[in-house]
Amino acid sequence: MKTLFRLHRRAVLKGLGGAVVGLPLLEAMLDVNPALAQSAAAKRYMVFFDGQSMGADGDTLHNDFVPDTVGPDYDLKSAVAPLGAMKSEVSIISGLRIPTASENGGTVPSGGRRDAFHVSSMSPLLAGVRSPSNTACAGPTSDQVMAALLGKQSLVYRVQADWYLSVAEPAGRDVISFKRDSSNRVVPIISKISPQQEFNALFSQPPSMTDPVAAAKADRERRARASVLDLVKGDTQRLLGKLGAGDRVRMQRHLDEIRALELRIAASGPTQTGICQTPGDPGPDPSSSGNQGTDSSGSNTYNQNLGYSGEEERARHFCDLIHMAMACDLARTASLQMTMFQSHLSMYNLTGQATDCHELGHGGVSGGTMAVSKGIAWHVKHFTYLLQKFKDTPEGNGNMLDNMAIVYALEGGHGHDPGGAKDNSSHSTENMAMMLAGRAGGLKPGQHVVAQGKHPANVLVTAMKAVGYASDTLGEVSGDISQLRG
Amino acid sequence: MPGQSGVRRLSRVELDTALSDLLGDTSNSAQGLLPPEPVNPFDNDYRAQFASAALIESVERLATDAANRALANATLRAALVPCSPKGPGDASCMRTMVQTVGRRVFRRPLTGEEVDRFMALQTFAVEDNNFDTGVRLVLQAMLQHPAFLYRVELGTPLAERPGTFKLSNYEMATRLSFFLWGSTPPDWLLDDAANDKLADAAGIRAAVDQLLADPRAKRRLERFHALWLAYAKLPHPAALTNALQAESAALVDKVLFTDRGDYFELFRSSETYVNSTLAAHYGMLGAPASGSAWLPYGPLPRMGLLSQGAVLSAGAKFSDTSPTQRGIFVRTRLLCQDIAPPPSNANVDEPPTSPSSNCKVDRYSAHASTGNCKSCHQSLDPIGFGLENFDREGKYRAHDDNEPNCPISGDGKITGLPGGELPFRGAVGLANLLTASPEFEQCVVTQLYRFNMGRKEDPADLAFISALTEGFRSQRREFQTLLKDFVSHPTFAYRVEE
Repeated sequence: MKTLFRLHRRAVLKGLGGAVVGLPLLEAMLDVNPALAQSAAAKRYMVFFDGQSMGADGDTLHNDFVPDTVGPDYDLKSAVAPLGAMKSEVSIISGLRIPTASENGGTVPSGGRRDAFHVSSMSPLLAGVRSPSNTACAGPTSDQVMAALLGKQSLVYRVQADWYLSVAEPAGRDVISFKRDSSNRVVPIISKISPQQEFNALFSQPPSMTDPVAAAKADRERRARASVLDLVKGDTQRLLGKLGAGDRVRMQRHLDEIRALELRIAASGPTQTGICQTPGDPGPDPSSSGNQGTDSSGSNTYNQNLGYSGEEERARHFCDLIHMAMACDLARTASLQMTMFQSHLSMYNLTGQATDCHELGHGGVSGGTMAVSKGIAWHVKHFTYLLQKFKDTPEGNGNMLDNMAIVYALEGGHGHDPGGAKDNSSHSTENMAMMLAGRAGGLKPGQHVVAQGKHPANVLVTAMKAVGYASDTLGEVSGDISQLRG
Repeated sequence: MPGQSGVRRLSRVELDTALSDLLGDTSNSAQGLLPPEPVNPFDNDYRAQFASAALIESVERLATDAANRALANATLRAALVPCSPKGPGDASCMRTMVQTVGRRVFRRPLTGEEVDRFMALQTFAVEDNNFDTGVRLVLQAMLQHPAFLYRVELGTPLAERPGTFKLSNYEMATRLSFFLWGSTPPDWLLDDAANDKLADAAGIRAAVDQLLADPRAKRRLERFHALWLAYAKLPHPAALTNALQAESAALVDKVLFTDRGDYFELFRSSETYVNSTLAAHYGMLGAPASGSAWLPYGPLPRMGLLSQGAVLSAGAKFSDTSPTQRGIFVRTRLLCQDIAPPPSNANVDEPPTSPSSNCKVDRYSAHASTGNCKSCHQSLDPIGFGLENFDREGKYRAHDDNEPNCPISGDGKITGLPGGELPFRGAVGLANLLTASPEFEQCVVTQLYRFNMGRKEDPADLAFISALTEGFRSQRREFQTLLKDFVSHPTFAYRVEE
């Protein structure tokens, strides 16, 4: 255990970023004793993100997500109905809230958000820390803190392929993962949106071959690729010395990422045994259909495939890749952004609703909170699919879920909106709920826990501790929710 | 005073154009593989760029695929390997390849040490008993090399001004070709650099003439206008989007390349290039049954680019036009003013409401007369209301959508320009007002500066921009002359490091 413990301390330093740490990127993370990794199943951590709030404007029903009953064997509301029997592996945590500036005399409080909604919940929700702006995250997110601790790759995927509004840009709504870079700044991690590229990156390493000619060719290809990267890395390093200060920062980032890729390549090469099997090739990526809008008769074009780029298939492929990358121990952390903050993904192909995800909360179709719940249920369907894959994969005396903590988080709750000074609003971080799956670290799933007044980051801390996080604090939020451990 | 410049990554569109020019690779695969860059409104702001794992991995994939494609095609391969190898280890032939292809890809000659490092990859060719294995690996390495991915400007430091550098001839060639083509310099321009022909204004102007005579220059300047005026992507079905973009591109080409008269004709043109679909869209008669033609607007209240559907599509919100967003568009894009973001307690996610009226003008005026919304909205919404007769596809309408009892007057006004509060009506009125305004003239030049330099201007750049604007005005606003004045200006040959 000593090796692992030493790794923890270095990685925690990096992850929390209290000081500039001169370790080359990722080296600490990959410095895991392989014998140890094989002898005990690795712990794994994941965040699954749904970019919408839980209820609709003006509806007195805050959500159709939180069960009526408290404790085990809870009743399934429509938003989480796709869980079905999987509910025994999932706890629902209700009563959560993020404090706002307006309740603190206009200043954003510790772990709180700005009053203006949309994306202002990001920093407290995912990193436990208040932010100076709506779209910036002011600390590393939980998945990246855990990536530094658990090692291997960190998968950062987004299902919603595009922003789908022509004039504006996503401006930060497309990111849910942040880390500290080698100059100690908190920087976004650009999500990957191509299942095809990820399949190639993760599983293109040829398996060990018996044919000596093929084996020699594969070995040569591997060495040639390494030589090419080494040349590029060396020349990038040489260039650094010739640049001014501003350029050096930019080019250093580039160099860090080349080095990280080299380490990922050196660390990968799954063994095709047991639960690790190369998954099916997802094939060409679903095509991008462009922005939503209106047709020449003024009707909206949700039913013409605009604002949709095969997210149904993309979600399925990414779930398959995350499952197998973890089964093969290529990755131990993942964040899957199903939809962007304030998501404008068309719901037409997903739920039959002729509007986009964001407008569900603002009365884009009739049905109020029940209509919003249909949108959430689409996300939960894929969440359930992923959990089923982990559950069906044997590990030790049980299955992969025994060594995992998986958090399901939404952008907002429903209730008072301090920005618009309204009640029963979707621009609210009152009455928030989350889900937590997995049995790592004594987690006891399958219950509804009312954590009245607790912060979403308290759920993150609970999940992080279950897979080896030694601290009781994420960002500015401390404490866990002990009932989730039964 | 020279402007700052930093290492600047090629945009995805620039990478695709460069791969097409270098390798004959027309797959446009950078746009499919690489993460999108921030767009505000241009896609080449180097201060907003940063490398990510997603970038590095997709660049490796791009380089590998492009190298494989280039070698799979006999014609393309022949263009890359200018000699017949005598065997897999033919170092002389490989060295020639590295030097010739390297100069094109890096946009400068390689140093001896650089060549040697690429030559080391030939061991894999020998091992594989295949010369082309070495060529493939060299290409793979060059295409993910910082000297290709980034425009790196080093130059020669000026002893008397620390931090300021004189660009090399090759760096100047790269600036010219990326500005005017959005692509890598052709061989003749690299030869010009080698022969010191870009060292003075006359040589630069001659090179610009040659660059502007190429169709790539048209595509590049069409793209400048499409990004600046927000129609590079449109929220309409493909047929309408394509027709609108073609209409705007045709006018840009006509004013900049065919007529070569006053640039403001772009905003004053009394005719437009439409197909039958678009003619019906605008209510114009006389369109050809197939193809497109120039048709006069006649009595229709339209004139120039601002009355085209592509530009009028900007700023839609809440399933309708947004007078506020259109006001922001006019102020930021056409007048280069900065608009402060809404206060942290503003709700910008719901359309304004009025207790007494469904009419948009009443709903917005209720909104703009209250609290801390007032000062900003009073400077924005009246501009947008001047364009309200055009819906979010640029079609004419007399009343609010689905509200026949809410007629649209089309009266707008703009404040903050010399002359106080200036009233206007419709897209024609706005175009007349703007083309009479020195602020608009300066903003055109400012946007071109941002596009060329890959960043927003700094205070230190204002004198240069003003000098260019003065020249633009005094030379009857001929756009190609502006382009030439820009790049042949003495300060353009220098950079200040960041």
